[in-house]
Amino acid sequence: MIRRRDLARALDRKRVADWVIFESTQDIAIADAVRSEKPTRRREQRVRMAFVVHVDDSRGRGSTRVEVASQDEDVGELVDRAIELALATIGPGWKSVPASAPAKVALLDPAIGKHDVHAIATRLAGSLHAPQPATVAARARVTRETIVVDTHAGLTSKWDASTFEIDALVGDGKHSIAVHREARREADLGLDATIASAAADLALLAHAEPVKSGPCALVLDANAFLFDDTTGVWSVFATQADAVLERQGLTRYRVGVPVAPGAETVDPPLTITSNGALDFATRSAPIGEDGDAIRRFTIVERGIAKDLGLTPREAALRGRDPNGGVRNLMISPGTWDGSLPNKRTIEVRRLRGLTIDPYTGDASLELAISIDHLGAKQQTFTGGTIRLDLVAALSRARRASTIIRRGAYHGPAQLLIDDTNLVV
Amino acid sequence: MKARVTYARGVIDRRELLHAFGIAGASTILSACRGGTRVVEHKPQVRDEVRTWLRDAVAKLAAVYPVVHVLAVSRRRTTAGVDIVGNGISRARRDGVVLAVRDRDGLWREHVTSELTALGVAAAVRALAGRDPRPARVTFPAPPPRPTAPAIPDEVALEKRVRAITQGDAEMNSRIVYAAALIDLDDATVWSISPQHDREQRLVRVRKRAIRAAWAGTRPVVAEAERGWLGGVDDFDLGAKVQEATAAALLLTTPGTFDDIEADVVLDPSVTANLIDSGARAIFTTSAARRPEVMRRLAGDTRIAASLVTLVDDPTVPNAYGGFDFDDEGQVAAAQMLIEEGRIVGVLGDGGKGRGRRPGHVGPIEAAPSHLRLAAGTVAWKTLRGNGFLLEGGQQAVFDPTTDRVVISAARARVLQNGADTGRVFADVELVGTMASLLAGVSGIAKETEVVSYREEIDGEPRWRSVEAPYVRTRGVVRMRRRA
Repeated sequence: MIRRRDLARALDRKRVADWVIFESTQDIAIADAVRSEKPTRRREQRVRMAFVVHVDDSRGRGSTRVEVASQDEDVGELVDRAIELALATIGPGWKSVPASAPAKVALLDPAIGKHDVHAIATRLAGSLHAPQPATVAARARVTRETIVVDTHAGLTSKWDASTFEIDALVGDGKHSIAVHREARREADLGLDATIASAAADLALLAHAEPVKSGPCALVLDANAFLFDDTTGVWSVFATQADAVLERQGLTRYRVGVPVAPGAETVDPPLTITSNGALDFATRSAPIGEDGDAIRRFTIVERGIAKDLGLTPREAALRGRDPNGGVRNLMISPGTWDGSLPNKRTIEVRRLRGLTIDPYTGDASLELAISIDHLGAKQQTFTGGTIRLDLVAALSRARRASTIIRRGAYHGPAQLLIDDTNLVV
Repeated sequence: MKARVTYARGVIDRRELLHAFGIAGASTILSACRGGTRVVEHKPQVRDEVRTWLRDAVAKLAAVYPVVHVLAVSRRRTTAGVDIVGNGISRARRDGVVLAVRDRDGLWREHVTSELTALGVAAAVRALAGRDPRPARVTFPAPPPRPTAPAIPDEVALEKRVRAITQGDAEMNSRIVYAAALIDLDDATVWSISPQHDREQRLVRVRKRAIRAAWAGTRPVVAEAERGWLGGVDDFDLGAKVQEATAAALLLTTPGTFDDIEADVVLDPSVTANLIDSGARAIFTTSAARRPEVMRRLAGDTRIAASLVTLVDDPTVPNAYGGFDFDDEGQVAAAQMLIEEGRIVGVLGDGGKGRGRRPGHVGPIEAAPSHLRLAAGTVAWKTLRGNGFLLEGGQQAVFDPTTDRVVISAARARVLQNGADTGRVFADVELVGTMASLLAGVSGIAKETEVVSYREEIDGEPRWRSVEAPYVRTRGVVRMRRRA
């Protein structure tokens, strides 16, 4: 196995413009109690080393990222072939910006201490309980990793990180709901609330009846709009804030312009911040995958497009500092107190499908469990589709004043979108 | 079980194409297939050396545990791509060893390491069996013969083959704003050793793919031709499919929309394959059967489809992209009937049931299909056409086993009347219904079939499977994906 230090020396000996080495040593434990017929404990230990090389010649700059396999032995050959590959991808020239200090961010659950990840995963998988009559079976995955980054400028950064993941199947004998949670800290999984919420939604299914298509307002609960993904519907703004596409003039998003007509006049207007230095958030890191320091920046400020995610290359081409790209999304809270509008309102508890067209921001929300509110009458139903222009709908949505924090999302717990149409 | 946001395939635009396939250069086409990261190739592994390490591990583990299985994989991926800007090639390699044991209490333990070396295997054994265990006396079967495998072309030869995919495409014209071709090779050698067996297989999976994009008004139309198989690079070609993809990208669709309508629909093999694939994974596996709604369906009235429908999962089909000689638990491959004349007759399972599969051969075990075959009919597909729609260009299918609701998206819908194509074609449509109604509503199956291959990655490790599907006529609600 090639050592990081040897690789750094070999890279220094070559005429490369810049390089970064990453080494991740991971200890992963999985305890699977979902497979009741075959309960399993799995332990995985792996070391992954990769390096990024930038090579300049008269035509410009070429870059490549190379993974080092465990059996690679000849570091000189490894570097030579990386340089060949980088030269094959020469594009317009740019200069690396001077290295800046890594973001200060905590990523290791202090409670993990010296505990064995295996024991933690086993305890987690066995600790979940659902209120009667629901049952729960879970698979827990716990990862503890140490990441070391070396750069051409001589900066070495090392940090520890932890990740807790739970996949649970909550059932009541008739129906089931699969849930997924991922967090840096065990406490952030919010398992009791997660399982209780799934059990409550299961109970709703018993009373589900068909409903009719038609115009309605839409309330999206966090389980629905995050769709168990890191940022769910909000990921549309990450796509829009891609600097590469923006430079080509190919985004709908334009810096300094409202993200959708009227977005700046909403009370209160939407503000979205990318914060990759948020302690214990799943997309946080001190240094990005290109060796650039992670920085907080505003994507949308009071309804107006403010800034873009900048890789080192994009930042250099714009004469700016890189910011590590779009990371965790912090959404400004609103003033909505949760009261429903005086018209038909669909409260979406869970989705079973979310498809986003990255070009237009058009989205199809396939509803799994929802409640149809019409005055004092409530009717649970399953199925149905809502189609939205997500950029416009989210920029004008009424946001709850209550904040939740889950994975890479930090923002309102509920959203109210007026004037949509349910298709069943 | 993790849900993921999906980005509509087939509605990508020039912006996304440039992003996916390389604003800076064509070599980044490889990143679209996650081939952008390159693992420098090392000298080839000596198979007998690996066998020695693994047998030693089995013997030591067998001294402590009653059930032992060791799986090792050495996997290389080569991806060559050519697009309108240039070309690129990448190689990646990943090795792994999975030591799986069952203790006397019935608990399965697995230890996985990325180091397929003598030291790496020994360290993994120590983690499970303690320091320096005395090996048990195990009489291993004779080693299997070296698996025969097709020759893997070198980089220059591979690049020529990629270029050949686009050559001779008579449909190409200046309206095509983006064109790309790709060959993707996954070459895996897998060893499976236990006290009872010693198996080895070499699986070379090949995918050839051509992509065409043209603008239709303010929207792009993207069409793909793809074929995947197990075998040599030259065993199959995309053939006329490339021109069909070009023609599909250039097709001018009917402006406007239509109201949601319940109608007879003929599904082309790609749409049928998506329906079968989503349904089989959500219903016909032991993992899925843990859900009570699925369990009930499997245990109750087992009629799930029209009597025309017979579905089998068969990893032994020659050249099947999802095929294998033995699964990742070492079970020899065998066909498994799932639906026979409309009735459920089987479920895919792991734990010795022959469908224990691991992503990349090293990930966590799961029950999964290999090569699904929906039995073909006896009539020509054109005889299935009546009044309604012909759905072409399968994109994705979302199926919820809780509600039984399925939404299948397709690139276009041709309007049919009295068995003839009216010439009206709508882009980006969906077929909506319950799985039960769509399968029970099958009223015709054609004799023409096509194979659709799937390669998806989980935690950086690939899962391979394929579906052989014919044209099928059924009934459901058809609607436009896009708003007016």
